Amino acid sequence: MNRRGLWIGLSLAAVTAVLLFVLAKGFGRDPHEVPFQLRGKPAPEFTLTRMDNGAPVRLSELKGKPLVLNFWASWCGPCKVEHPVIAWGAKRFGQEVQFYGVVFEDTEENARAFAGIPDPTFPQLLDERSRMAVDYGVTGVPETYFIDASGIIRDKVAAPVDPQTLMAKLAALKQPAGPVSEVVR
Amino acid sequence: MIALVLGLVLSTYAPQQAGSALLDPAREARVQALGKQLRCPMCQGLSIADSNSSAARAQMDKVRELVAAGRTDQEIRDYFTSRYGEWALLEPPASGMNLLVWLLPLALLVGGGLAIARTMRRPVAAPDASAPPPGKEHAPADDPYLEAVRAELRR
Repeated sequence: MNRRGLWIGLSLAAVTAVLLFVLAKGFGRDPHEVPFQLRGKPAPEFTLTRMDNGAPVRLSELKGKPLVLNFWASWCGPCKVEHPVIAWGAKRFGQEVQFYGVVFEDTEENARAFAGIPDPTFPQLLDERSRMAVDYGVTGVPETYFIDASGIIRDKVAAPVDPQTLMAKLAALKQPAGPVSEVVR
Repeated sequence: MIALVLGLVLSTYAPQQAGSALLDPAREARVQALGKQLRCPMCQGLSIADSNSSAARAQMDKVRELVAAGRTDQEIRDYFTSRYGEWALLEPPASGMNLLVWLLPLALLVGGGLAIARTMRRPVAAPDASAPPPGKEHAPADDPYLEAVRAELRR
């Protein structure tokens, strides 16, 4: 093979390798899966209203104890299946972990009926216009966020949570966090 | 019928609260233009401006809120990509790894065109003088069978 042929062969091999790399990167990913960018970052601050007593709840005041935030809506079928699991978790682990529900894109009347207000099994927060949900990168409901005692988002589950998953995620909250970077406000 | 009932019961599309009030025409036009650039997380290839899903409506309300707060278009795009990654943009920016996807097909097209042009310009090789004349190329002299046939024909 002459010198020119060698160069052409090497160039073609390089272009093919880059194309294969790009394709492998693209095809190895579920196109419907929305990336979760807030893992390992400080949870965005919020001030929401408790639906049972109207008291304001601020994230900054919840630090010091792990926090589970469960986004739900009364019109969401899987949320109906999940709600008793979160209620069980709140009852069983409530001493060491805080559990809050956040209503997503729902009417207050329907949300109150769904959560059994004024006697909810765990505190429920109203999120007007779902502003706080979008701040957290919620893509739909149900979604459950696991935030450690220092206010770092450690994980989220974008599906109905079952008891095993809940226990595993709560155990992981006790593990030390990795490096932390800020979130664009 | 069962699928329809299950779909209605389990569907995440449902009546909820209405979207936020529209801004003045100039700023609302910006909201809609930005909404067209952002991907709806619950849909397939739809922008949040074109979708009626709850998540898209929540995101449009957020775009409206950020526009009303005086944020620039780039700041609003950054807000969404910091939460949903570049996935949130319907048209990924031509930078970094994405640049390869834009440039490689172009490079291949130019390279292929050049290769074809060179091949077409190359002169056709002159006939080799040492080659046997047409019709004789498959007639080795030492083939006894062929020589016998020719001898028969010459008679």
